[in-house]
Amino acid sequence: MKKNQTLLIAFIFVIVLAVIPLFIKKDNLLTYLCMILLYISLASSWNILGGYTGQVSLGHSAFFGLGALGTRLLWFAGWNVILAMLVGGIIAIVFALLIGSPAFKLRGAYFTIGTLALGQILFATVGNIFPQISSLPVQDLQSYTLVSRYYLFLAIALLTVLVAYLIANSRLGLGMMAVREQEDAAESLGVNAFRHKLTALVISAFLAGLAGGAFAFFQIGYYPQYPFSPVWTLDSTMMAYIGGTGTILGPIIGAIFFVVLKEVLSLNLAEFHPTVFGILFILVVLFLPGGFMGFWKRIRAKQNKKRESAAELSHP
Amino acid sequence: MLKLTDIDTYYGDLQALWGISLDVNEGEMVSLIGPNGAGKTTTLLSITGLLRPARGGITFDGHDLLKVPPDKIVDLGVSMVMEGGRVFASMTVMENLELGAYGTRARKERAETIEEVFKTFPRLKERLTQRAGTLSGGERQMLAIGRAMMSKPKLLMLDEPSFGLAPILVDSIFEMIKGINQQGVTILLVEQNVRAALELADRAYVIENGRIVGEGSGEALLSFESVRSAYLG
Amino acid sequence: MLQPLVQNIVYGILIGALYGLAAVGLSLVFGVSKFLNVSHGELLMLGGYASFWIFKLLKVDPFVSIPLTIIFLLLIGFILYRLIFSRLIKLEVEKKIQNSLLVGFGLSTILQNIALRLWTADDRSITTAYSGLSFELAGIRFPAVRLISLGIAIVALISLQIFLKKTFTGKAIRATVEDWQSASLMGINIHQVYLLAFMLGCAMAGVAGTLVSICYSIDPSMGLNWTLKSMVVMVLGGLGSMVGTFVGGIILGVTESATAFFIGGNYRLIAGLLLFLIILIFRPQGLFGTKEGDK
Repeated sequence: MKKNQTLLIAFIFVIVLAVIPLFIKKDNLLTYLCMILLYISLASSWNILGGYTGQVSLGHSAFFGLGALGTRLLWFAGWNVILAMLVGGIIAIVFALLIGSPAFKLRGAYFTIGTLALGQILFATVGNIFPQISSLPVQDLQSYTLVSRYYLFLAIALLTVLVAYLIANSRLGLGMMAVREQEDAAESLGVNAFRHKLTALVISAFLAGLAGGAFAFFQIGYYPQYPFSPVWTLDSTMMAYIGGTGTILGPIIGAIFFVVLKEVLSLNLAEFHPTVFGILFILVVLFLPGGFMGFWKRIRAKQNKKRESAAELSHP
Repeated sequence: MLKLTDIDTYYGDLQALWGISLDVNEGEMVSLIGPNGAGKTTTLLSITGLLRPARGGITFDGHDLLKVPPDKIVDLGVSMVMEGGRVFASMTVMENLELGAYGTRARKERAETIEEVFKTFPRLKERLTQRAGTLSGGERQMLAIGRAMMSKPKLLMLDEPSFGLAPILVDSIFEMIKGINQQGVTILLVEQNVRAALELADRAYVIENGRIVGEGSGEALLSFESVRSAYLG
Repeated sequence: MLQPLVQNIVYGILIGALYGLAAVGLSLVFGVSKFLNVSHGELLMLGGYASFWIFKLLKVDPFVSIPLTIIFLLLIGFILYRLIFSRLIKLEVEKKIQNSLLVGFGLSTILQNIALRLWTADDRSITTAYSGLSFELAGIRFPAVRLISLGIAIVALISLQIFLKKTFTGKAIRATVEDWQSASLMGINIHQVYLLAFMLGCAMAGVAGTLVSICYSIDPSMGLNWTLKSMVVMVLGGLGSMVGTFVGGIILGVTESATAFFIGGNYRLIAGLLLFLIILIFRPQGLFGTKEGDK
């Protein structure tokens, strides 16, 4: 596909998403779209660290949770919600910087387990400090509109995808991918592996923090511990894998697929969607590294090969 | 007895062997010589089944080894001592020897076999309850060879048995290998110590860059000019 | 002050034995095949539910039904290995650890979901006629079921130890842990060893699950924390040493109960995880004893 064509399609897609609330008035449909957008943000921000840089983190919910917690507290204290979200994102960055240098001493699976443990520590700690449910005050409840939440989710999803796209097509992204492929080789070529990993972690954390902020603004009542739950991490990791890690479209496809599948299954196979998703995830890890995107690329490559050989035949 | 026909072996995408063909006849002692990284170890590993050639054929006593799983290849009578011996350091000498006779064929006869091994390596008998990790380099090598003998091999393959050993020990290890050969065990030997390898062997193959570049009796190769200049200096 | 502290530590030791037992299975599987099976906690949960339902429906005492639980978990292990984990054995070590971890998460999601749907989110525990019994020694209480469980954990560990030390197959497992290539050259079928170790690991998790369902309680979401605890213990105890792992379990148990005593019960889990992170960071590479030259 030509670059211009891709951009045009993306542009049309964004326009459609932007005007949807004008036509869809059903709250539950809009809520699904909100969830898709939230998952796109989570999976895409995970992908910057896990997919492009190859640091498979299972602590993503920590950043999501910190963003949500910071935003909720400041927003309830009377701050403007956008400002509160920015601070939430910054809290996530600060945490990323704090854990960055010890965490990146760990490589491969050890990094993965370390981040998982870190995520669980925050999950338990927040549960201990904020045991009470956090509910929207009644006066705010009256002014609650779903559409404003929708646009916020849309903005953050767009920002996340845009950032991922810009990174993927930059020198920084090239360095990250070099670190993913062969850390030692990258170092010997002058790529500072640690700095690239830390940059990826900080960007990923900030975007997840913003998504957490939007979640805090969206959710009417929830336990502050909830966004820290490992479920968020596992879901976004699975989405990115199923869609295809290290690609822009992969996490988006994964997120859409996840929410749609959940809906379809809730009609037929009530509440067994984690099982179906888990099976798909295992199949992808075992047989389809690269997920849907990888699969698609392979099919395309095969078709092209066929076309080429056909062309060769027609030119004796 | 052993016949390799045109085998190509890869490490991932990297081709290590290019059309290796060689024969080993019953009762012979054959050496593989060549520079580091030429593909000698890869050739041995391809025979054991730990590596599988992408193309070509390997037969042993009429069996197509490419169709036999690695553990059954040992049962057919092919045994290999890897470089450095690779004994199980945390296990006792006795346990190492027992594991040598793990295969179904060898297991039944292990009581008799172990006595034969003690005849060749009396030192091992004194060390039976000691952990293999506490043995000296020479003793480890003896244990590794003794352990391989426990499987009652028809063909014993040795990868650099003299590597890292003191010069006095080197000679006695070679003596022991010769003794094993005289008991009727066919031997395929990979050695850096080219002179010793050629003197000891009935025949030898020269491998370079994953290809066989020369073959002949040990004596003939010893007098061969290119071999002399390349390996004997 | 002293007596409650001692009481707390005793409880810590008693639960620590179960941590040790849970970790032994994880460590065995990791040592043999380098699979970091993060669904280990869910296997433990399955063991717990097996005993619970056998007790509830068939009225069989949970201690008596342990052999049944073991058979059940051996079977589960067989299926999971054949269906899933066997497909990872050809990978190089780093990739194998990573992918087994990912696959394990998929599996834990599945098992958790199935448990939740089949058996609801309720906490369950087995209450027998003797559940309330306890002994007192110098004012310190020793609940009977926990003492029996300690005994069973020790018996299970010793049996495993004897199996590994004395039988031909056990020796083959130890040889494979040390050097799978050498083991293969001995005529050991390492695929069978991997399968067997995996099944044994599952069985150990199952026994631990039974004991947990008797002494404490089980629920569908318990898995992740038990997996993490097992990993903490595995790291504490060092790989390959069953005794070390058991001691590691007791260290974790005592650390947790001391934390509960001095800081608060809600911080038990956090203390263990912090301990884990500290060890991880100070021994980043050689942590699980991955040897040079492993492929």
